Amino acid sequence: MLKGIVLRVPSEDSVVETVQTFVEKIGLAAGVSEEDATSLSIAVMEVVKNGMEHGNGGDPKKHVTIYIDVYPGRIQFQVDDCGTWQPKADLGHEPGEGEELISSRGRGVLIARNLARWLDYGLNPEGKTRATLIWPLI
Amino acid sequence: MKIKEEIKDGIKVIRLSGKVISGPDLMDLKTVFQASINDAMGNVLLDLGHVSWMDSSGLGVLVSGHTSLARNGGRMAILNATKKIHELFIITKLITIFETFTDEGEAISSLKE
Repeated sequence: MLKGIVLRVPSEDSVVETVQTFVEKIGLAAGVSEEDATSLSIAVMEVVKNGMEHGNGGDPKKHVTIYIDVYPGRIQFQVDDCGTWQPKADLGHEPGEGEELISSRGRGVLIARNLARWLDYGLNPEGKTRATLIWPLI
Repeated sequence: MKIKEEIKDGIKVIRLSGKVISGPDLMDLKTVFQASINDAMGNVLLDLGHVSWMDSSGLGVLVSGHTSLARNGGRMAILNATKKIHELFIITKLITIFETFTDEGEAISSLKE
């Protein structure tokens, strides 16, 4: 059982693809199908990118930390950043609602929430933003 | 991501392959869209048949390209979006603004109208 995996990355675009590939491999090792492993990795990557942008303001000195635990029947990803933002509170509405369709931004949470079976935002014990994404292992 | 460009029946065809996700490659795609506008290639056909995945940043560049072309009197059509990419267009409601085709000849004929 894969438990206690921690990945800490700086808020830089250049690491995003590496994170995606890493998460894809974790998914495959946990028994996710090849097709779904890519969807899983994209969902996690969207959450990580949001942490880098909204939580850390794109500051490469600030990190995003991903905690990965595989439990019977599910994989849990907890993504912590250095901010206190919450998507719904910051936007004033759920992501994907009320936005201009032709905006070139603002689709990350919407995509992650649709790809993953569970995505919720809250605060970690230090009071910083924590996104929790659950992927069921069917 | 790989980008190939060709002109077919007077229409610029941009063929993408691989992952269209965050990273330096997306700047290249932005540059290709901008070059199409600078070269007065008003209408563009974007072939996504070999794109394995796209994230929100990739979608953002497509939306930006679509909008820039439209502002300059052009159009962008999408060819051969895979099932996963098509699902992304539905999730994000972009399906309502993108013209999508599965037949290249039909797409080019439409863009020539």
